[in-house]
Amino acid sequence: MTPPLDDRSSDLRELFFETAHELLQSLNEDGLALERGTGGEEAIRRVRRVVHTLKGDAAAIGMRELSQLAHDFEDVLTPELASERAADVAEAVLAAADTFESLLSAAAKNLPSPGGESLRALIRRLCAEPAPKAPRVAVDSKAPRQQASFEWNEYEHSLISETLAKGETVYHVGVSLDLTNLMPSAAWQLVRNVLHSCGSILVLHPADDAHAEHVEVVEAALSSTLPLETLRKRLRIPAVTGEVVLDRADVAGEALHELVSAQHGAAEGAAIPSAAPSAAAPSAHAAAAAAGAGAANNLSAASRAAALVDKTLRVDSERIDDVLNLVGELIIGKSMLSRTVAEFDRRFQRDPLAARFADALGFQSRVLDTLQKSVMKIRMVPVEQLFRRFPRIVRDIAKMRGKDVALTISGESTGLDKSILEPLAEPITHLIRNCVDHGIEPPEERIAAGKPARGTIRLSARHEGNHVVIEVGDDGRGINRDRIVERAIELGFVTPEEARQLTDMEALGLIFIQGFTMLREVTQISGRGVGMDVVKTALENLKGTVNVQTAVGKGTTFFLQLPLTLASIKALLADVGGQLYAIPVASVVEITRVTEGEIHEVDGHEVFQLRNQVVKLVRLNRLNNAGAPARASRRLFVIVVALGDRKFGLGVDNLRGEEELVIKALDSRMTQSEFVNGASILGDGTVVLILNLPVVVARLSRAVMAEALA
Amino acid sequence: MEQFTALSVSKENRPVRYLVVDDSVFARRNLARMVESFGGVMAGEAGDGFTAITEYNRTLPDIVLMDITMPQMEGIEAVERIVRQHPDARIVMVSSVGYQENILAALQKGARHFVQKPVRPDVLYEIVRYVLNDDGVLVGSGVGGGHKQGVPS
Repeated sequence: MTPPLDDRSSDLRELFFETAHELLQSLNEDGLALERGTGGEEAIRRVRRVVHTLKGDAAAIGMRELSQLAHDFEDVLTPELASERAADVAEAVLAAADTFESLLSAAAKNLPSPGGESLRALIRRLCAEPAPKAPRVAVDSKAPRQQASFEWNEYEHSLISETLAKGETVYHVGVSLDLTNLMPSAAWQLVRNVLHSCGSILVLHPADDAHAEHVEVVEAALSSTLPLETLRKRLRIPAVTGEVVLDRADVAGEALHELVSAQHGAAEGAAIPSAAPSAAAPSAHAAAAAAGAGAANNLSAASRAAALVDKTLRVDSERIDDVLNLVGELIIGKSMLSRTVAEFDRRFQRDPLAARFADALGFQSRVLDTLQKSVMKIRMVPVEQLFRRFPRIVRDIAKMRGKDVALTISGESTGLDKSILEPLAEPITHLIRNCVDHGIEPPEERIAAGKPARGTIRLSARHEGNHVVIEVGDDGRGINRDRIVERAIELGFVTPEEARQLTDMEALGLIFIQGFTMLREVTQISGRGVGMDVVKTALENLKGTVNVQTAVGKGTTFFLQLPLTLASIKALLADVGGQLYAIPVASVVEITRVTEGEIHEVDGHEVFQLRNQVVKLVRLNRLNNAGAPARASRRLFVIVVALGDRKFGLGVDNLRGEEELVIKALDSRMTQSEFVNGASILGDGTVVLILNLPVVVARLSRAVMAEALA
Repeated sequence: MEQFTALSVSKENRPVRYLVVDDSVFARRNLARMVESFGGVMAGEAGDGFTAITEYNRTLPDIVLMDITMPQMEGIEAVERIVRQHPDARIVMVSSVGYQENILAALQKGARHFVQKPVRPDVLYEIVRYVLNDDGVLVGSGVGGGHKQGVPS
């Protein structure tokens, strides 16, 4: 039959998974549209098309279960049904997306496939109730279930014949439940236990406990090594089962008619209704039809795959990382070369070679620059890849919480390095969940506040200089600044004196401190802030920042600022006590010089005056404990950086200039210090440590509140 | 009380040994009388899940009749722990109809059967016979039932 998954070429397999995920995404989108009632017939047709494609592709790759489920599902998707029972159909579409997804991910990891029972049950329900146009073959639940009828579907038939082909013994089992038993689902569970103890269950109707309350007959196909009589005895469970119909299946695959009539004879007085043969005939017919359709699909999937392969090249991202690393090495090499050339220039000023060196070097660095940008571009992916999952998440949470929430997305084409995009999924999900959960009020409350009943969550992305800014905002109740501060004092994160000096942004930043929680107040802004430190940490790891803006009653917006790439960084190099540090240029506002005499102490902090502003001074030499004796006349360089809405001055010994650094990730064993979040190598081999500014400022300026800034 | 054909353990030809777990003394007494009418003996009894586990380990009974709702440790947890240690343990849940969910859970944890309260002796008898027979441990000695064969496991 179909070769197992791993026999297929792995390229095709990957392509399948990738396209399948796109298909699922569109399934999710249309499911949501149907649920909103905005999709109409177009949406249902799209869903049908997608399910159909999935069916064909899955069959081509050898995923029979998925293909079969898709096939069953496709059958019930008629425009009439969609218009008459839109809500049910929408639910089924979303459930289908989930089921397909779990089947796919199991297959991708080569795990045994999880059952699609719940989806099957939904599908059955969809066609069981009166639909305007009766779907084709009667699906089993329509038939009166007093007797075992063994109406397996094509997939189940194939499962049985495969097992038979392996030489195992398969029994058709029909067990009627004792109707005097008052605990039908427990009874059903016991039957299942017993079946399980007798062998392996190939098919089980009903498949899930959702319908167990109304089960009268349990039907199963069981592969077992036990003799028929033992099996029969075990299945006669006192107080649970009534009639037991047991039949050994020894008919291979296609002879469905014979199978049914054989059962007819063997069925121990339990008469098979006359419907059985007629039901078998159309299903055999359907099998043939499906086989034909399957073949056609195989073809189209293959040719589609070929077309895609022509245009795009799918490469393991590690290979691109390798190239990027090499480009990084080249940049270091270039800076080595330019040092040498500078040295040469100085020594042999009149040598005509000097000019040619300079030309060659200039040419090389232009190409190198372009090369670096090209490689970076390969890694850029539109944030849409991340954003498209959120409508579904919002919908699920809103439904669960009984809220009415719309999600608007903009700037989805903004590009971001893939290695940044992926770790962003978790923090953004967290923020969005918080927005729905705590930001958006229940409809009644919103109406009472004079707002539309439906809340809105905004998700947007845009480029801002060398950064990407992602905004997650809601029009909910907002965060009460005073409560946050109050709570922070309670929790001992700030002293009341410090609290008075906090700017709004700093006060709100308190929610990002690890351990901060509003949980005590379950009613007002409950939970807002729980686990927010996770968001902050994730952003910090990505060399990004997160800030909040809020207006009570109007809503809250989180701003996530991220570098375009993690591969390189523009940084200012500064000497501090003999060690070279890099400060990301993105945070630098200006550079100034201050004499020791101009430094004053206020509230235990060193400060200096920058034009008409008082700025806190952070002496970086405290990093390596090299406290130089201060003379009033000594001048030091101060790099003014902005973090959040506050400025800080970083005192350094000397400045070395600006450079594009290729970031080398530091091994976690090497970074004992949180002060540093990366390193780089200069052309002359010097190692530079890249400062993690929020941490540096927070720690060295003593105050806890500064930590809230990060 | 009705008379039942005595059940005994085939290999050793001894009476079936029961552990009865229920927090109600009355219910225990009632069940004890029933199992004695089946020709069985009480290996032990327990009023809560904890004691049930220690009693099980001490007496290694042929069958356990286990109540669902009990103080300290519920029947389900006791089932889970006993079955984890003794996968062959034969536990029959005894409970009122309102606890279907719990019965379901107990069955998923490895209970072999269940019987509704108030327990009817004839039903319990059939269930015990089924559960023991299932493992080929048991033979109804003498006549009746027509299920003489103990299937070797």
